[in-house]
Amino acid sequence: MLNQMNVRGLLFDPYNNAYIVILRDEQNSDMLPIWVGKAEASAISFALEQIAPPRPMTHDLMKTVLDNMDAKVISAVITDLKDNTYFAKIHLLFGDSEFTVDSRPSDAIAVALRTEAPIFASGEVLHKQNSEELERWLENLKPEDFGKSDI
Amino acid sequence: MTETNTLIPLKVHGVLVDPNTDTQIVVLRDEKNSEVLPIWVGTAEGTSIRLALENVIPPRPMSHDLICSFASHLGFTLNKVVITEVKNNTYFSTLFLSKDDLEKTIDSRPSDAIALALRCQCPIYVTPEVLERRGGEDLDTWLSKLDQKGSEQSEKTDI
Repeated sequence: MLNQMNVRGLLFDPYNNAYIVILRDEQNSDMLPIWVGKAEASAISFALEQIAPPRPMTHDLMKTVLDNMDAKVISAVITDLKDNTYFAKIHLLFGDSEFTVDSRPSDAIAVALRTEAPIFASGEVLHKQNSEELERWLENLKPEDFGKSDI
Repeated sequence: MTETNTLIPLKVHGVLVDPNTDTQIVVLRDEKNSEVLPIWVGTAEGTSIRLALENVIPPRPMSHDLICSFASHLGFTLNKVVITEVKNNTYFSTLFLSKDDLEKTIDSRPSDAIALALRCQCPIYVTPEVLERRGGEDLDTWLSKLDQKGSEQSEKTDI
């Protein structure tokens, strides 16, 4: 079963020097945090804040390439979680066929936000990630850990 | 301007870490090793180019691997990339994609173009105008100094 997710924001994780993309389902009952690198966080943040950079960034190029090929992004799906690594698939419509392309969640989210495609997470992924552990981690965050940081 | 007969083919010679800034430098050279074109890129783009140069296959696809994967799934070919222009210290480049009789040109940053060209194994060209405007006779001296400085951080880049 797939759950539609919204990107609620980005946090800086000072302990791992990485960024966390927070996805929530529509009812706001399930949360999925995904750790991403700085460049990927920046790509997601530009799309969230609708900033148009002077030169196309890698994910803007990704969208332009797909547009030029007349391929449409149907959806991005976070499919699995194995050894702390999330897996995703990008579903494309090209001609009359659907194509499924393996991707990191960060790329899938960055391209979905730019093409206004929905983002889903499988029930299995939501079940696997231990939300209790996350909430404990979030409680330890200080207010200054939030915000735009330096991306 | 992007006619193939006047274009100069370039090879990626290596990626250096600029110790003064948070950037990396992609060093391109022509076949005779007489021309050199350094292009400053971000850390993520530099890393992506280095992975492709060293034929490293990361456990999960990086952003440029994903673009190549789109092209191969949909049957498109990246035929060449051309570094077309330099304006206010910013380089511009164009991707040439095709499928059957359909040809498309797409504006891109050189860092993305180079990262894709290495993965799709297509040639990289530069226009003569860009090489002329690059100028700077001391470039080779400057680069060799930087190479020594940066060699600790990027031992494997001097290919």
